[in-house]
Amino acid sequence: MSQLLGMAMLLYLGVAIILVMAELWSSLWMQRAGRGLLWAGLALHSGALIGRWYASYRMAAGPTPPMVFLEKLRLVILQAPLSNYYDSLVFFSWCLPAMGLLAFRRHLQGWLGAIVAMLACLLLAKASFGGVNANIQPLMPALKSNWLLIHVVVCFLGYAALTVAFGAALLYLIQDYSPREALPALPMLDRLIYRAAILGFFLLTFGILTGAVWAETAWGKYWSWDPKEDASLVTWLIYAAMIHARLLKGWQGRRIAWLAVLGFLAIIFTYFGVNYLQSMHAYMT
Amino acid sequence: MSTTKRQTQPKSRLWGWLTSIRLTVHLLLILAAVAIIGAVLPQEQPAEVYLSRFGETWGTVIWRSGLADIYFSIWFLAPVCLLALNILACLIHGLPRAWRRSFTPLSGEAALTLPQRARLQWPRGTDPREAVAGIWRRELGRTRRQALPGKEVFSHETGRFRPLGPYLVHLALLFILAGGLIGKFWGIEGSLPLAQGETAQSFQSVGGAEVPLDFQVRLDRFQVQFYGEGGIPKEFRSDLTFTKNIKNLQGGRELRATCRVNEPVSFGGFTFYQASYGTQPEDQVRLQVIQGSHRESLQVPLHQLLTLPGGEAQIMVIKVEGNLQGYGPAVQLAYKSGPEHPLIFWVLKDHPEMQEQIGPYRFALESANFQFYSVFQVNRDPGVPCVYLGFLLLLPGFYLAFFRPHQCWALVLEKSPKGDWQGRLLGSSPRAREGFDLRQTRLLEELKKGTPS
Repeated sequence: MSQLLGMAMLLYLGVAIILVMAELWSSLWMQRAGRGLLWAGLALHSGALIGRWYASYRMAAGPTPPMVFLEKLRLVILQAPLSNYYDSLVFFSWCLPAMGLLAFRRHLQGWLGAIVAMLACLLLAKASFGGVNANIQPLMPALKSNWLLIHVVVCFLGYAALTVAFGAALLYLIQDYSPREALPALPMLDRLIYRAAILGFFLLTFGILTGAVWAETAWGKYWSWDPKEDASLVTWLIYAAMIHARLLKGWQGRRIAWLAVLGFLAIIFTYFGVNYLQSMHAYMT
Repeated sequence: MSTTKRQTQPKSRLWGWLTSIRLTVHLLLILAAVAIIGAVLPQEQPAEVYLSRFGETWGTVIWRSGLADIYFSIWFLAPVCLLALNILACLIHGLPRAWRRSFTPLSGEAALTLPQRARLQWPRGTDPREAVAGIWRRELGRTRRQALPGKEVFSHETGRFRPLGPYLVHLALLFILAGGLIGKFWGIEGSLPLAQGETAQSFQSVGGAEVPLDFQVRLDRFQVQFYGEGGIPKEFRSDLTFTKNIKNLQGGRELRATCRVNEPVSFGGFTFYQASYGTQPEDQVRLQVIQGSHRESLQVPLHQLLTLPGGEAQIMVIKVEGNLQGYGPAVQLAYKSGPEHPLIFWVLKDHPEMQEQIGPYRFALESANFQFYSVFQVNRDPGVPCVYLGFLLLLPGFYLAFFRPHQCWALVLEKSPKGDWQGRLLGSSPRAREGFDLRQTRLLEELKKGTPS
């Protein structure tokens, strides 16, 4: 399983290099090869996730797995590999190419594809070499909820979409300050930032809602002003401001791109920064 | 929300400011900044924490200014209230128009006023109407076909209800804010520790006040399971019985329920959540009293004077520890003999060799058992349904606002005096250029297939 992840990591790195070269030499077949390899990396990565899911299920089921289908299904849902820091890094990494390939297929090539592949590679590297405990840990009582799966999946898919928006914003800003032929055209990037931000904003909202409903059943409070909740609120407010500015004030281009970068920094803080604060969401490593 | 116009009357100036998008964006950014402070600065700690961490001056500033409890201070509540007003004003301002627009389907006459996108011409003698109808149905789906004097209009509209989307989202946010406010003013939360077999009729609120319950709750059984020996907890399970006395009803109302983490139990308007647990000694320990070669095992209740066999002294168990500084279970005894001052000492279960002779006696601890007690979070939050209603409204709102772009299409066919058919493709989509352009290209391709010119 860790071998699969290692291979996926190398593939993502390869994809990033190939896509950059494809862009520099404007080679169509290299673009295609890069895309194909990205799919291959995603397939390996998915295999590793399913393998970990299965191992986690086997560990929880023990020698006497439940026989009734519904109980079995519940255990399968609970044991989704999403419960600790390592799991979350691997899943965040998986979401990037998955979101990119599924929702932004036409744009995921060249520089943008390289950025997405590189970030996926870095997240996997952090999971493998960052001193993160990779053991499958048994679930704490608070995490035993069907909301775990949906809350975490929706949040990370949202992060992934907003990361795509950040990648596009980065390219926009580079292109804007020192125009280059090889980079995508500005209007296209501008639209892409907005589309990715909308999708990410929707998923982020849905993630916060599911988290609130879960918190209500687990702790009796749908909102506790926990640092992670605050940070996700900050992120949400930044993107809300961006969408309002664009739809109603007609902001475009550079200012929207800067807001997308700011929003991404908020996400980084929400995800990594909160681990250093006292939070119910801090991952135990 | 509208763009503001310069207005001279103070009333309409205020209204213009309240409905302005500039205010919204500013408030969102201010709230983001406040929430950053709230996330980074530890909240709701005692004053000493801030004083020791930030020094005398800054600690006092933080404590006095409300930054230490930022979400309940003016810093947060003022912008939130203003945002609520802003949203409300925008709803009042724009909803009627959005409502009217959503419930007026695109009519043939209105379709004629859409901006023109392309012109088409068919050669003399061909009647394109059926072909066009086919293409229109295939490419766009539901079609409206209308014959006006001298012309035929095909039209199609999607996302008619899109204008309602943003209003639904903002209405949902108002519901959520209102629910939060209701919970803040009319909600109660507190905690209730219960030992196995214990019955309670009240709990402690967060503020420290005793809140009476109009029913009784008894903890019948409490189980804690661990993953392996000394592992992390696997499950907390409390079996509860609620009883409420009701006039004219023998035995009242009774409910037996199991409360686990993530599985709260509701009764009599309150909800009980399995919050945490603790341990406490049972109310008796077993001591061995050794007098020369005579040994006697005694059951000793806590905090009660007990006369020792022989009657020469009295002892009392003052304290029970599960693990005294790493030396294992221990009890603290007070020993009093005659008029002397009482002696106080520890008796360790696992280290009998450390026990000295006291008077004629020596003591050994045979067993000191602990039991778990369960801690419940007890809540009543009448705002929750309102908040959940907001959550439910958000989803269709988002769907309408972002994933159902409004598109209007019309193809006007006219027969020229010479007898050949001419067409004009009209259409508009205010907020989704990309999808619109793609569709226009496809439509024109299809339409031109049958027309050589």
